[in-house]
Amino acid sequence: MNGWLVAATVLLAAGFGPVVWGVATGPLERRVVAQNFGTSVVCLVMLLLSQAYVRPSYVDLALVLAVLGPAGTLVYARLLADDLGDDPPHANLLTVVAASAATVIVVAMCVATGPGRATVKLVLIGVLLVAGNVIASRALAGGFPGAGASTRD
Amino acid sequence: MGRAAAVAAEVLAWWLLLTGAWLVLISTVDALEYLVGASAALLAAVAAQAARRAMSGR
Amino acid sequence: MTDALTLVSLLLVAASATAAVAVRDPARQALVLAVLGLALAVLFTVVQAPDVGLSQLAVGSALTPLLILLSVRKVRRRGQHEGGDR
Repeated sequence: MNGWLVAATVLLAAGFGPVVWGVATGPLERRVVAQNFGTSVVCLVMLLLSQAYVRPSYVDLALVLAVLGPAGTLVYARLLADDLGDDPPHANLLTVVAASAATVIVVAMCVATGPGRATVKLVLIGVLLVAGNVIASRALAGGFPGAGASTRD
Repeated sequence: MGRAAAVAAEVLAWWLLLTGAWLVLISTVDALEYLVGASAALLAAVAAQAARRAMSGR
Repeated sequence: MTDALTLVSLLLVAASATAAVAVRDPARQALVLAVLGLALAVLFTVVQAPDVGLSQLAVGSALTPLLILLSVRKVRRRGQHEGGDR
């Protein structure tokens, strides 16, 4: 029973619950935005769990998700570009929320970990998470011209 | 000749970046880990340089 | 407290799996399956099986959606092609 475990539970319930709801209902734009936000939330939950169970190796889960989560969202942005093209989703608020939550959690974990290679790894994961989220959100909003789906396969 | 030197320089830069990232991210650093990381980083550096060339050529 | 965390992650897996069954269109289903993969990865980590969670993340976040969406595109395109010829 420690604070990290409580934080992980709260983040999971309050962050991922609405993600499941948002991805199952509503227009396609909301679903894709929910999927993108969900990957960031689960990455932060993995970071908190690694601190809660006192197993630094769980941070690798967050690292893999910080890299592959935006890759998944980019898959949707590319292959669903025709369906999303009419009304590109803008999720600036969610991106800001994800970025600030990532900053708070990474700073707290760096303080708890202390100096060394582990802290550099945490900072790297935080940077990858925020950068990936921003890139994926911009791609969903149609902000990369010349990257639309081609008509030939 | 200049093209080949530019390609080699970019592969070297990618290799340095990726090996550095590997050494930061693994838990214990010893000779075997370094060897594995350097070999994997070399493959990835060649692939990254080819991908960048393919992207910028579009 | 770990019980509460296990309960929350189990409920999320159940909810996303039910949503994956309830959503009918394949493209939207791929999205829900990606979220189901994330929930499963969290559940595996909570029950102290992080290597299984790592495999789940590696497969479920980018590969499964890509496969499903590419199949949908192929099938759709073949349907259009045959419909246009006729």
